[in-house]
Amino acid sequence: MVLAAIQSRVRSSTAYRQLSDQVRYTRQGISDNVPTIPGLPYAYISPFFILFGVFLLFPTLYTLYLSFFNYVGVSNDILLQIQAGPLTVSIPAIANLEFVGLSHYERLIFRDSLFHTSLFNTSFIFLVQVPLMVGLGLATALVLDSKFIRAKGLFRTLIALPVATGLVAYSTIFLLLFNDQVGLINYALVQLGLSPVAWLGSAWGARITLVIAVTWRWLGYNMIILLAGLQTVPQQLYEAAEIDGASRWQKFRYVTLPQLRPVLLFVVVSSTIGTFQIFSEPYVITGGGPSNATITIVQYIYNQAFLQLNLGYASAVSVILVLIVSAMSIVQIHYGGDQDA
Amino acid sequence: MREEERNEALWRFGAYIFLMVIVVLVLIPLYWMIVAATIPQSEFFSWPPRLIPGLQWFDNFQALQENVDFLNSIGNSIIIAVAYTALSLVLCSMAGFAFAKYEFRFKEPLFYFILATLVLPIQLLIIPLFLLMVQIGWTNSYLAVILPWAANPLGIFLMRQNMQAIPESLLESARMDGATEFQLYYKIALPTMLPSLAALSIILFLNQWQAFLYPLVILQDPQMYTIPLALAELVGQQRVYFDQIMVATSLAVTPIFVVFLTMQQYFIKGILSGSVKQ
Repeated sequence: MVLAAIQSRVRSSTAYRQLSDQVRYTRQGISDNVPTIPGLPYAYISPFFILFGVFLLFPTLYTLYLSFFNYVGVSNDILLQIQAGPLTVSIPAIANLEFVGLSHYERLIFRDSLFHTSLFNTSFIFLVQVPLMVGLGLATALVLDSKFIRAKGLFRTLIALPVATGLVAYSTIFLLLFNDQVGLINYALVQLGLSPVAWLGSAWGARITLVIAVTWRWLGYNMIILLAGLQTVPQQLYEAAEIDGASRWQKFRYVTLPQLRPVLLFVVVSSTIGTFQIFSEPYVITGGGPSNATITIVQYIYNQAFLQLNLGYASAVSVILVLIVSAMSIVQIHYGGDQDA
Repeated sequence: MREEERNEALWRFGAYIFLMVIVVLVLIPLYWMIVAATIPQSEFFSWPPRLIPGLQWFDNFQALQENVDFLNSIGNSIIIAVAYTALSLVLCSMAGFAFAKYEFRFKEPLFYFILATLVLPIQLLIIPLFLLMVQIGWTNSYLAVILPWAANPLGIFLMRQNMQAIPESLLESARMDGATEFQLYYKIALPTMLPSLAALSIILFLNQWQAFLYPLVILQDPQMYTIPLALAELVGQQRVYFDQIMVATSLAVTPIFVVFLTMQQYFIKGILSGSVKQ
């Protein structure tokens, strides 16, 4: 739906129209493109689909399956034996499992307080970080889109620089910056006559540190998308608004915002999905602490699955995470989408 | 009128100030990385802290290399990211070409099926992939990290979108000239797709270069660590050597900065053509 909105925007651009006209004209009078070798398209797509099936499709379904089981251990059983003439292919069972029905879900929803903590922490980061970052990104993009700004390219490059930093790499920088004892941030606070903050030593300090770090990393990314969106707003609309004597705010409110809506929605939805999947930052910067104050859902999945080997239980958490993210996206698209259409 | 002009001037001034503040906030962490990577460990605890870069980068690098074999991790990261990008480009461009330029049964359902999987988060796959790799004995191997996301749904989507713009007449005239069907793909389609391929390879490479959760699960032998794993290892040590960590971080981000600054238009094209976050 979001993609469709962006596609329709792309389609309405003149460059695209010219290109598609060109394609349409050249198509006329030419026989339908039938491959000379039958089955050739399947040869082109099958390598993709083999890997896709084994490494993406099967695991997705298996996670759902696994969430109804307890993982007991690695299995030596044979799941399936295929006889093809002299050739025997045996596919081993993936794991020894014990069926538990819905009990993982029941425990997660009603009794697992650490899961609830991780849900709260992730929601807090989402509620503060996404509006902060989208707001800042929009403000930056609007300013940068103004006609009078010089050296736009330079500003854009500098602000987008964090896009090129790896997730763990930038997290280590924030680990140092917000260090309670030797960090630059606390030094700056003291220089300004304020008292140092226990950034990583207190629950709220650690949560806010994560919000600041994630905002730093993704601001430029979202700015680039919003800037591209702003550049597709037809200039005539602004000119018409100016003739009508619209103020700067009115132009923003009644021209820019409605025109930018699909792009803004895309940014909000993808940022929401991103924050609900946050893992590297809490893993490196806070370690989920202090005392689980910043443990996120994905971190909880990792701990359950790979530190405690509760693979079935962790699968149930994964399924719930997907449900939450999908529900959030659907709600956002429903309330933010096609109202102006 | 004069009042309006003054307001306009004030507005412009404010806009520049706002941009400057954002730029400074963005650059401070990166500047601090340079400072921390180039001063001796002992100076971290001096008060006031040192604010100007030193000349100790190489000494810190040697200490890092003695602590963990970081060069080896860089090698692992390069091998994995390059092989992954190359494989994924081949798979996605071939399949994308078929979806854009041929008619075949189940074409539409197959394509929309792939699109639907774009929304599947990586966390949903990690546990089964781990079990699978344990079962076939592939843990601690390059292949285990390279293969799973090589069939990239975003990649096939981008390739199909862009290849639809290749004029049929171009393919038709090549057929007239006796080109085989496979030559149409690699002699006609691929060369005209270079900008899109560049944008896609940047997305793919960067995703693999910074991938953390999945490699963390699959690669447990320090000899196989990629850069993010080695960094996390340094952070998790009993005693945290910030000088070494910052040297390692500077080595991790500098190549990507160079790519970003020299190939910015492809970078931005990649960001705009889809957002994939791992």
